[in-house]
Amino acid sequence: MSNQSSGIFNWVNDRLPIKNTYERHLSKHPVPKKVNFWYMFGALASVVLIIQIVSGIWLMFGYENTEEGAFASVEYIMRDVDYGWIIRYMHTTGASLFFAVVYLHMFRGLMYGSYHKPRELVWIFGMTIYLVMMAEGFLGYVLPYGQMSYWGAQVIISLFGAIPYIGESLELWVRGDYYISGATISRFFALHVVALPLILIALVFMHLVALHEVGAGNPEGVDIEKYVDEDGVPLDSVPFFPYKILNALVAIGIFGIVFSIIMFFFPEGGGYMLELANFEEANPLSTPDHIAPVWYYSPYYAMLRAIPDKLGGLIVMGAAIAILFVVPWLDRSKAASIRYKGNLSKIAMVTFVLSWLMLAWLGTMPVTELRTTLSQIGTVIYFAFFLLMPIYTSIEKSKPVPERL
Amino acid sequence: MEDKLTTRRKVLIGMTAGFGAAGIPFAAVPFLSAWNPSAKAKAVGAPVKVDISKIQVGQKIQVAWRKQPVFVIRHSKEALASLSKIEEKLDDPQSINIDEPYRNINPTRSTSDEFTVIAGVCTHLGCSPKYYPEMEPQPWDQEWIGGFFCPCHGSMFDIVGRVFKGVPAPTNLKVPPHTFSGNILTIGEDGGIA
Amino acid sequence: MKKLLIVSFLCFISACTFASESAPCGDYGECETFKPQLNNLESLQLGSVTFMNNCYGCHSLKYSRWNRIAKDLEIPEEILSANLVYGQTVKLGDRMTGSMDKVTAESWFGISPPDLTLVTRLHGSDWVYTYLKTFYEDSSKPYGVNNMVYPGAAMPNVLASMQGQQILSCKDVPMIASNGGVRRDLSGNDITEEKCGYLKTIPNSGTLTEAEFDEVIYNLVNFMTYIGEPSRADRERIGWYVILFFTIFTCFAYLLFREYQKDYH
Repeated sequence: MSNQSSGIFNWVNDRLPIKNTYERHLSKHPVPKKVNFWYMFGALASVVLIIQIVSGIWLMFGYENTEEGAFASVEYIMRDVDYGWIIRYMHTTGASLFFAVVYLHMFRGLMYGSYHKPRELVWIFGMTIYLVMMAEGFLGYVLPYGQMSYWGAQVIISLFGAIPYIGESLELWVRGDYYISGATISRFFALHVVALPLILIALVFMHLVALHEVGAGNPEGVDIEKYVDEDGVPLDSVPFFPYKILNALVAIGIFGIVFSIIMFFFPEGGGYMLELANFEEANPLSTPDHIAPVWYYSPYYAMLRAIPDKLGGLIVMGAAIAILFVVPWLDRSKAASIRYKGNLSKIAMVTFVLSWLMLAWLGTMPVTELRTTLSQIGTVIYFAFFLLMPIYTSIEKSKPVPERL
Repeated sequence: MEDKLTTRRKVLIGMTAGFGAAGIPFAAVPFLSAWNPSAKAKAVGAPVKVDISKIQVGQKIQVAWRKQPVFVIRHSKEALASLSKIEEKLDDPQSINIDEPYRNINPTRSTSDEFTVIAGVCTHLGCSPKYYPEMEPQPWDQEWIGGFFCPCHGSMFDIVGRVFKGVPAPTNLKVPPHTFSGNILTIGEDGGIA
Repeated sequence: MKKLLIVSFLCFISACTFASESAPCGDYGECETFKPQLNNLESLQLGSVTFMNNCYGCHSLKYSRWNRIAKDLEIPEEILSANLVYGQTVKLGDRMTGSMDKVTAESWFGISPPDLTLVTRLHGSDWVYTYLKTFYEDSSKPYGVNNMVYPGAAMPNVLASMQGQQILSCKDVPMIASNGGVRRDLSGNDITEEKCGYLKTIPNSGTLTEAEFDEVIYNLVNFMTYIGEPSRADRERIGWYVILFFTIFTCFAYLLFREYQKDYH
């Protein structure tokens, strides 16, 4: 570095803590030395967030947020804008992979007890991010204004109507009109493009700050802060740079392969990512045979449909997400990681995962009596996993957690 | 932690970083290309065809091309002959200071010896100059022998669009690419002459 | 624990693939398979001609432009203008907004013929292919035809001159026992029963043989698949390069990662 550039750098650094922040949070930040691929999904989630923002901005060059122009403008982007189709598919593939990555990231949290003290707040910020993502995905899906955009919006907005006393006024207020129309599209557009992304970025920032304050966990559930060297750096840690960057780079490479396979060869995702009904412009006079949300909402959609009462279904669906927030206080195990928990936790975890997958599948299917029963069973298992957790994590025999990694 | 930068490490870093960086220009292509005029813009900006057989001598018609007014003027022989008298009043009679696609072919500044095709956009600040073909005194010029007068700030141009000296407009009115084929004038297409 | 999860995940995936609903192709049952060939320019060109001659009179392709077809199908613009574009005022950069006005269409058919740009993406190319081949005579309908894939369709059978007329007929088919095998009588012959709902073409009522007609429809649906997503051929071509890039990059990144992992592993 020449004297002149280091001079400029020092001038700036005296006024803005660049060097310090870089070392504390990136290059020298201690991370557990042994983590597995489950620990890569957080980094991948931030990569997808950037992909969504960039592709989203570019989509805005061509998208028309009006009732008359929305659907045609998407085809305009696909056909008339040079490489517009790449940008569109990048955004739709990114949306699905955002949820896939986040679900795996959440699952890592459940498996390895990442929410255990002192990381409860990291978990809570994370759950809030998930909630905002669900809203963001819903708002975005309405924008192309295809048949599924319209009728999906119709179903979800009508849920507001289930709330007693204020329900119908709330529906009208959300829609901005007596039926879904251009008023709804323009406000959803503003929320999807500006409001929720800003909130999301702020939450991701808080999530990372909270994480850096207490340090990352590890698959063993070992507290690496217990054994430190003379400088206070944990013995079982490595500096983030270059070791974890390189780990993340491999993850990004593999993720790139998966993303590209889907984006370039299966952009519709078999009709689960880009629903085929959405290739028809919204028609308020004709309901599609089968209204289903995109795959990432389907477990909760299955729960909603499983309850015969409209308000009841809404409450159960809300509770299913709300209960995720309090997991740090439901888990009474001495071990954070499933590796050291007892057999009851392991059985509960497997049952939970299978039942969640079953609910996800049921949510995409048309309703039959058998499927409704299965959805009800799945819902019960889902809640049991959480509500019984204080009991089974206390009574089971967990293995002693090692001291060192 | 040891961080010895061995040769093997240097090579691997070089290869990974190099290969990754090589991908960046390719990844940038869609994002940069998306800014280009889309097929819709190109369609709207496409060449416009005009049937010139209907235009009378001395008449000026106006055609829209790329959201601009384009003047098509059919000159009489007398009008074209009078052009030599006006040269001393002009700032750039040979159209040297601008991009002139059909220079030195005809006095009309076009491949046709009868028609002039010029953008009706004043080179000062973009207003649309008005056509005053009659050779009679005007409030802005007692010795007016025909031409264009821009009402916004008083710039003057001759009947083939060349700018006068001492007016706010700096250059002659622009000649868009155009081509004649029988009775059809296509504005926006060159025809291979320029 | 991990193995259990993997096995259960695989079971879930396989369960998904076998989940089936009411027949995708209406009364016809399973759709006939259609495999597009988006790099076969000749097929696409022939399909575009069939479309313009038989379909464009009523159906628009309003999201696509004439000059895009010229470019992608490598048809010189003059030839496209002369042979496929009807209408003096149409410029090649325009969208293909169709020739029939909505009001007239609704009075003739009860419904405006839908725009077909995205029909293969909405219903699938298989569906469209099967639909076009399964019109049959039905005197109870306003235009005298019905369709097996889309019963009650208001569309007249514009392809009848080529395909000939089809009728629903009955034929003797082998009886299937509950175990899936064919029922036989004591001498070993198949026992048959009469089943109806099969399509039968009236011989010599159309200008093309069945094989020729199938080829015409194949090319037509190939063209319609192309029009549903004109960039699809590009997409698949570029995709290989991108996947290759990430594969090689991952290999380099992995080697580098392992090299540095030696420091602490």
